[in-house]
Amino acid sequence: MEQTTQEKLNTAVNPSEDLILKVTDLNIAFHDHSLPETVVVDVDLQVKEGDMIGIVGESGSGKTMTALAINGLLNRHDIQKKGEILYKGINLLTCSRTKLRQVQGNDISMIFQEPMTSLDPVQRIGKQVEEPLRLHEKLTEEEYKARAVEALGLVELPDPEEIYNRYPHELSGGQRQRVMIAAAMICKPRILIADEPTTALDVTIQEQIVKLLKKLNQTEKTAILFISHDLSLVRKLCPKVAVMKDGYVVETGETEAIFRNPQHPYTKELIAAIPEIGVKQYEKKSDEIIVSARDLNSYYPARNGKLFGKKKKVHILKDVSFDLYKGEILGLVGESGCGKSTLSKVLLGMVKDIDGSFTNQDLHPQMVFQDPYGSLNPGKKIGWILQEPLKNFTNLAENIREEKAVTMLQKVGLSAELMDRYPNQLSGGQRQRVCIAAALMAEPGFLIADEPVSALDVHIQEQVLTLLKELHDQIGVSILFISHDLRVVYRVCDRVMIMKEGRIVESGITDEVFLHPKEEYTRELLRTSGFLGKNIV
Amino acid sequence: MNLTYVLKKLISLLFTLLLTAFLVFLAFSVIPGDPVTTMLGTQATPEKVAALREELGLDRPFLVRFVSWLGTFVDGTFGNSYSYHVTVRSMLAGKLPITLTMTVMAFLMILAISIPLGIYLARNSGGRTDRIMTVVNQTIMAFPPFFSGILLTLLFGLVLHLFTPGGYVSYTRSIPGFLGYLILPAVAIALPKAAMATNYLKASVLKEMKMDYVRTAYSRGNTTKGVLYGHVLRNAIIPVITFLGMTFTDMIAGSIIIEQVFSIPGIGRLLISSIANRDYPVVEAIVVLLAFFVIVTNFAIDIIYRLVDPRIRSAQEE
Repeated sequence: MEQTTQEKLNTAVNPSEDLILKVTDLNIAFHDHSLPETVVVDVDLQVKEGDMIGIVGESGSGKTMTALAINGLLNRHDIQKKGEILYKGINLLTCSRTKLRQVQGNDISMIFQEPMTSLDPVQRIGKQVEEPLRLHEKLTEEEYKARAVEALGLVELPDPEEIYNRYPHELSGGQRQRVMIAAAMICKPRILIADEPTTALDVTIQEQIVKLLKKLNQTEKTAILFISHDLSLVRKLCPKVAVMKDGYVVETGETEAIFRNPQHPYTKELIAAIPEIGVKQYEKKSDEIIVSARDLNSYYPARNGKLFGKKKKVHILKDVSFDLYKGEILGLVGESGCGKSTLSKVLLGMVKDIDGSFTNQDLHPQMVFQDPYGSLNPGKKIGWILQEPLKNFTNLAENIREEKAVTMLQKVGLSAELMDRYPNQLSGGQRQRVCIAAALMAEPGFLIADEPVSALDVHIQEQVLTLLKELHDQIGVSILFISHDLRVVYRVCDRVMIMKEGRIVESGITDEVFLHPKEEYTRELLRTSGFLGKNIV
Repeated sequence: MNLTYVLKKLISLLFTLLLTAFLVFLAFSVIPGDPVTTMLGTQATPEKVAALREELGLDRPFLVRFVSWLGTFVDGTFGNSYSYHVTVRSMLAGKLPITLTMTVMAFLMILAISIPLGIYLARNSGGRTDRIMTVVNQTIMAFPPFFSGILLTLLFGLVLHLFTPGGYVSYTRSIPGFLGYLILPAVAIALPKAAMATNYLKASVLKEMKMDYVRTAYSRGNTTKGVLYGHVLRNAIIPVITFLGMTFTDMIAGSIIIEQVFSIPGIGRLLISSIANRDYPVVEAIVVLLAFFVIVTNFAIDIIYRLVDPRIRSAQEE
């Protein structure tokens, strides 16, 4: 735990040695069972002073494992590591624990995807921000506190003195991530590893955190390894990028060059998944209205904890009006907590405390949920799950039900063999296909898809969306498509509504809204999703 | 800690106590068995019975009796014993410290065993000691205190001659002798509970070690020890506090049997003899007292909870 600041200064003034981290032939494999499972293969990476490098790939591509290895967090016995991670001539994979700890949090620090759970829930913020400093530098109590408050100020938290005494649960997700960054920056590290730091946050907060990281990279000269699945975000932020797939770095270099001229098929696929706008052709499907809402308001009872206290109500939906025409896909976009899911519950009749009116022409509207893991009964076989809506709504004989289930399974691109499988034997993408199939079994006229692809990897997303679109074109079901992801919405929706704090602030034909947003809020959403600036400016 | 919260809590505590007292009193009014018959024998003349009923105030209506009984709690006498014609308070006075001392000793033993052992086993989870201790723990958990009490008496009394069975020493005579005699009964009570608390703590530490904040702590250059004592322990202890609270109240009530096994003249033995004599004022007073301890312990646990876990603090103060 000795002072290492002096050493850091020495290397900083030596310009000939601006390569600070060199990863060579990094291989990582688990061997919980008899067969080792390789997750990172022959990865090379070089980080220079003040670099901003993006590492892109979907989950399971090995990007997080690489990051954890660099930060020395892979020390369990069941992980095999080969190759070299050289920092200042020390191989972090083989050096002593004591040496490694001197680097951790001091020279190389890390922030994580889950700001909500990455802080100790029972310790004050100040103490947690100070911790790396206490571990690496010997200072007085006053100095620790002063440095912590300074760090909290650096990450632009309002009133750092006050935040210092708070607990994590009293802060929002964005604030917690700032606290994480403050703690990671307090020892003025040479390298900051940011593992999907904005994925769990709302778009507007994402933007702020990304700006903050950029600022820290420029003012503090801290090299940042930015790990993300979000290609357009990386393009905006990082001059250099490494694309990972199945444990390999498949392509690496200047970000712009790769975007302009991707070499590897996988990179091409990823870039192709980013939509161009202004290419959709809108045609009104029908004049028949399936679902219609007028001045819809909904309330949620809030408990105030007192036994005989007055009941309070929280106003969720505010004067929501819209029509859903037969055969169209209507997008509903907004950040989490804006009331999107509440609206779907209201339309399904699951919320009683409402005023205003809505009509629904369909007797049995169906729903597809975000989480394909939790929404299938784990104790039932796929065949049973698919037949359930038919049992509830029709009097069909068992052999006909089964026949229909098999047909539907094939329609969603799955083989009939899956009829006898249980949900846990299926992948996430397969499960979501099953969910869609189950929702379509009773041939509903109206389907609500609530973030149906948010839990899936980018290229599985693509497949599921293609499927949904094809099925929709075949069957002509009307879909209310709820998502926070504008790219997904652009792909599938004919018209979109933008929701903010329970109110629909803008709505219209998809291309109209995306090309000529009227509201500042819509603009902001588009900007953070990489739409503005790509096609317009 | 906020004062209105404590006040509110105290008021609801008082209500709970009052309700308990009412139910206890009601129960003893309706259960069959008449204290007068017990005192006079079945051959007594109706006149004699009626006279004694009047003397004891048993001829009055239920609610009147209940209120006057409550009055005895206010003046602190807890009423008069039917059998001994002294105040219940004077009967409890010498016994309560014995039972409480034994319970507190047992509780301290539970803490002294389970906290270090739980942490040790969690740190060495899956190792040889852990596997052996899992079996040992399971076995100990299955031992009811009266049984381990008998085994301990056998071992220390008849084999090792370190303990004189039935040789209770009053605390008025010798405090070390008194405490010395209580060690074995306290161990008997503590053993199964300590085994359970150890398992709880171990499981809780292992669960917390998988949390995201642990990874954060490691990424800052903490040693395993630093992570464990700096972060994990306080989080891990939270669910264990509930268990320890329940254990404490459980042990007070459970002392009845162990006092019998070791011939300790505490509350438990008094309760048993009073039930046999149908000395209802004494029984009622003890049951209310036990309820009082349970309620107070729960209150204390609640306060401790709030000190340890800031999330509960703000959730309730909203």
